[in-house]
Amino acid sequence: MPKTTLHFQKAGLQTTIQDQGRIGYQSYGVPTSGAMDKKAAQLANELVGNSPENPVIEITLLGPKIQFLGACQIAITGADLSPRINQQIAALYKTIEVKSGDVLKFGGVKKGCRAYLAVGGKWQIPPWLDSFSALPYSGEAATPKSIIKKGMHLEVEINRTITTKHISISEQPQYEQPLRIRVLPGPEFEEFSPYTIAYFFSRGYKITSDSNRMGYRLDANLIDFKPNREVISSGIIPGTIQITSAGQPVILMADAQTVGGYYRIANVVKADLDKLAQLKPGDEVWFSLVRLEEVI
Amino acid sequence: MIQSIKIYGDQALLVNFEQRIDPAINAAVIALQNAIEQAQIDGVTFQIPAYCSLTVGYDPSKIEFAVLSEVVRQIGAGLVERASACPVTKALAFDPSCGGKSKDLLTGRTKVSRNGFGTSCSTSRLLRIPVCYEPPYALDLEDLSTQKGISQEDIINLHTSQTFKVYMLGFLPGFVFMGKLPNALQCNRKVTPRLRVPPSSVGIAGLQTGIYPTESPGGWQIIGRTPLTIFDPKKEQPFYFRAGDEVQFYAISKEEFLAYA
Repeated sequence: MPKTTLHFQKAGLQTTIQDQGRIGYQSYGVPTSGAMDKKAAQLANELVGNSPENPVIEITLLGPKIQFLGACQIAITGADLSPRINQQIAALYKTIEVKSGDVLKFGGVKKGCRAYLAVGGKWQIPPWLDSFSALPYSGEAATPKSIIKKGMHLEVEINRTITTKHISISEQPQYEQPLRIRVLPGPEFEEFSPYTIAYFFSRGYKITSDSNRMGYRLDANLIDFKPNREVISSGIIPGTIQITSAGQPVILMADAQTVGGYYRIANVVKADLDKLAQLKPGDEVWFSLVRLEEVI
Repeated sequence: MIQSIKIYGDQALLVNFEQRIDPAINAAVIALQNAIEQAQIDGVTFQIPAYCSLTVGYDPSKIEFAVLSEVVRQIGAGLVERASACPVTKALAFDPSCGGKSKDLLTGRTKVSRNGFGTSCSTSRLLRIPVCYEPPYALDLEDLSTQKGISQEDIINLHTSQTFKVYMLGFLPGFVFMGKLPNALQCNRKVTPRLRVPPSSVGIAGLQTGIYPTESPGGWQIIGRTPLTIFDPKKEQPFYFRAGDEVQFYAISKEEFLAYA
């Protein structure tokens, strides 16, 4: 069977293999992980004929430099990180034919934060607990092949090729700035004062540089926040917005710990997490409160 | 007794019990988790047991919040009934046919247990865990002894003279939260957390005791180390513990620790 090997000549800032997540092991303390922008990952797979849950490479801000040893089909979705193949600008959201020896690299961040690279075929890496997603902390022992390092090789067996597809601009996810996302009331919503709730929804927040796949810290401290009890550690799911004892909102993301003991003011609607994934430090987010019935 | 069932985002619900760290309340959480697992409800995706709450994830394309919360409420009520009708039965002990086939409550279809590790057996296990409470493993034992004004020997005796319940796993894959410590052992977290706690370190904080599965930053007071590997990603079942286990610590010498197979 024909195959290709991706040789990572440079690893990039934070490049990992992700899929739609590791579900069902949270009760052992294993976070769900998975692509931060799951929609973009699915679309990338669609463009190379892979199933939506196939692993992809998640690229953060500064991209890797990859030489392909073997022809294959690839697609790049998500953020526009100025991809080039052999110095030619590579199109996003389109099936790209790659020849053996081609080199893919990335440049400046034009839009978004995380790009997704799909390669058509069967990826020759082992899953861990039913997923190919890199495990954060202790990842080296559990998912070494999912954490991209300089010099690594990734082999993909090419089991078929497809006719070129592309996703039109009108169907591509849009990443507006500032971003407004939908939230539902969190488990401790009713313990916040009306002033705090009103304040929370009345302003935009910038993502601070102290933000990553575990969580986004926002640049504010909520007013009138007077916690009167300790919240006993309880399950945490991606999209939970916790308020620290100083009143700072933190949006917990894909690699967040599975239990936590802070007040939870709101939960991001799951579909909106994909858009949140494309925010980088300095970008702004606003919250809109919705009811469960309104979420399709 | 379930106190409330709330929405938790658009793909999970949160079941709250009485908000207290208590082995009996935690036993009810674990019993509910096991009963939901056994019921094999189509659409349930994951569960996260914690001290006094249970998070249940679901796929909204398969089941809706109103239906799932009602099913969970009924399962919870059934457990309370069963436990009170049979005082000798521990809340955790179910039929022996655990881990095998069970009925989907909604569709009546027979389903095979699909837990990743092949078992949803809900009977509680008692695990004996060796711990070396000597240097160089008992990093904070001397300081703790000074702080609390009790001998190191007393601390070790208090830690080994009763069993503790595993309330939950969290913070890191495989990190176990156990309790309830006797009041005499109560202590605060370290003012300055360590940047690196060695793997398999046994610690205490508040009225909890726990074991670090891997090297990590941590603020718990380290009183010893176990020769066991409690999280081994290379194994098919990487986790030594699960929520609901009963743990008995026992002291071993440094020689025994080093010789441990």
